[in-house]
Amino acid sequence: MIVPYSHVLVLAAVTFVLGLVCILARRNLVMTLIGIEVMMNGAAIAFIASGLRWHQLEGQAFVLFIIGVAAAEVSVGLALIIGAYRRVGSADSDTYSILKG
Amino acid sequence: MVATPSHDWTLLASVLAVLPPFLSFVTIVLFTRPYPRLSAGLSITAVSFSVMSALMLLLVQGTKGPETYMGTWLISSDVRIPLGFLLDPVSLLMLSIVAVISLLVQVYSVGYMAGDPGFSRYYAFQSLFAGAMLSLSISPSMIQLYVFWELVGLSSYLLIGFWYEKFSATEAGKKAFVMTRLGDICLFLGVLLVLINLGNLNIQELNNPAVAQRLSPGLITLCALLIFGGIVGKSAQFPLLTWLPDAMEGPTPVSALLHSATMVAAGAFLFARLFPFMSLSPTALTVFLTIGTITMVMASTMAVVDRDIKKVWAYSTISQLGYMIMGMGAGGYFAGFFHLTTHAAFKSLLFLCSGVWIHYYETNDLFDIASRQGRRFKIPIICLVLAAASLSGIPPLSGFFSKETVLDALAEGHSPVWLGLGLVGAFFTSYYSFRVVFILLFPKGTEEAHYAHRNSSIPSSEEKGSYWVMAVPLLVLAAIVLVLGFFKRTLTDFLAGPPVPSGRGWIFYASMAFVLCGLGLAWFEFGRKGAGQVGAFEKVRPLRLLFANRWYLDHFYRLLLRVVVYKTFAYLAIRNDRQVIDSGLDAFCGTTVESGRMLSRLQSGLVRNNFLLAFVALALLGLWFYFL
Repeated sequence: MIVPYSHVLVLAAVTFVLGLVCILARRNLVMTLIGIEVMMNGAAIAFIASGLRWHQLEGQAFVLFIIGVAAAEVSVGLALIIGAYRRVGSADSDTYSILKG
Repeated sequence: MVATPSHDWTLLASVLAVLPPFLSFVTIVLFTRPYPRLSAGLSITAVSFSVMSALMLLLVQGTKGPETYMGTWLISSDVRIPLGFLLDPVSLLMLSIVAVISLLVQVYSVGYMAGDPGFSRYYAFQSLFAGAMLSLSISPSMIQLYVFWELVGLSSYLLIGFWYEKFSATEAGKKAFVMTRLGDICLFLGVLLVLINLGNLNIQELNNPAVAQRLSPGLITLCALLIFGGIVGKSAQFPLLTWLPDAMEGPTPVSALLHSATMVAAGAFLFARLFPFMSLSPTALTVFLTIGTITMVMASTMAVVDRDIKKVWAYSTISQLGYMIMGMGAGGYFAGFFHLTTHAAFKSLLFLCSGVWIHYYETNDLFDIASRQGRRFKIPIICLVLAAASLSGIPPLSGFFSKETVLDALAEGHSPVWLGLGLVGAFFTSYYSFRVVFILLFPKGTEEAHYAHRNSSIPSSEEKGSYWVMAVPLLVLAAIVLVLGFFKRTLTDFLAGPPVPSGRGWIFYASMAFVLCGLGLAWFEFGRKGAGQVGAFEKVRPLRLLFANRWYLDHFYRLLLRVVVYKTFAYLAIRNDRQVIDSGLDAFCGTTVESGRMLSRLQSGLVRNNFLLAFVALALLGLWFYFL
């Protein structure tokens, strides 16, 4: 393994935090969805690195699942966003505040 | 219990005496309220059963010794509460009085209450009243007696407030209920005290002289006084007497029943019932004697100035009850009970007679009735004169015999004061009775012409029926009043009381002198030609005010109520309610609402914030698990 394990983990963490910041900072629902994808990818990188580190195949298998779930999630999420947009007329997440206390 | 045929027979008769009125009450309330005639028929039939059974029991069982039937009702640890019948001379006599008077009053009511929208309801209550009083009179234990005692109180409350659309009637009902309740609390405490110390509430055991060995004299006095508290409330004795005149708001037949056989008689009956127990304490007897005397004199003075015919008789009832209590307090058990018996007859007669005029003239005012020629009703006026004479104690009538007996008992006492006051009471009694009689018999004044055209006085033909329905009970009662006195000897033997002291000659003369004085004064002021019809007591303004205002007893109660109840207890209760309970609740609710409002700030409704929160929480959780 040429790249040290810790570097890969740092990369995974940075990717995850970037995704998180994207979710927290952006208000567009599509961007939120993209942020979630990025966070998932961060987690997937950590899985692959761990699988390689301990020579276990389950890490790669998990990543395949994560990719599958991410694809499904995006399709459902986009459908929901379109539905919500048609209903409210805006993709801005701050307009969805009817649960405000 | 030994089940011989004769036992079965008596048991059946006792059940038949007590149960039918209750059954008729339930039936009327549940099923026959829309059918007044049917309800009245049911009620009267039921009470006729009671009369027949009671009289049969009186004749058959009365000659034998006392008999009890007890079934267990409740068992609580070592206290056994029985339910049953006690048939001894006292209870049998009372049973018969109550049954007969109830029957006559119910028959009379068919005429009096005709056309009243609450006719069925009236008969339902009458049945309940009769049933409760009948059961009370043959109760073998204090607990059972107390239950029916309260039931009597309830039904009299219902009947006094029968015309509930009238504010004064509901007020009077409430007053009767609350004032008798004050006494009932005393009675209940007394019963409990006896139960705790004796472990038994059987009346026969209570009356056993052996009780004196088991309880200390002080305790007996206390119990007797507490039980007497109940009698004071029920029989309208001195401190609690003002509810009875107000109870005149009820229909007249109810007053007749209330004042003769039931309710107020219950108090005197309880005294007679527990007489052997009560007489164990000489101190208590002195207290009873004093209270009876105060009541008797006070109430008879109230009666001399009232213009309301029913109120006069109401005060007279209180005063006669005072006589009964006096008689028993002086140790003359038979005297009090005999007076109770005769009084039941002539007082119900007086009320029923007055009811006839009240029914046709719709006024209670003596002078009004007189000036509208009330004397044209022949049967009522004759019966009224008879009953009034009996009330004042004119010789051949029953009242004379019983009053003589009471005065004899008083003369037995140590102090001549009681006898003297008793004689003064006799004077007042004959004065106020004949005041009413003379006012009715010899109407004066100019109102006559005024009323002549608008009164139809003698009932028209369609009213004849109801008139006779009312007149027949009057005649029956009048016959009882006439002959009852001659059974004094029989009754003495029957009650098997202590031997009655052979009447002293001088008491007869003294009492006759006082009675005739009263009669003469009444004649002079109300009867003779050209009499002003203004009594001597009405001319003296302070006396008139004092008597007409019932010795300011009601004012005193009002004051007491205002100071003690409204200004102290109610005030404290209101403060407690407002300051502690209300504001405590307010503070609690306020805090909850306020904290909820603060917490709700967290719900910004922004998806990003929710997400951040979820992430922070998860991160913290992760740290927590990582480091522990």
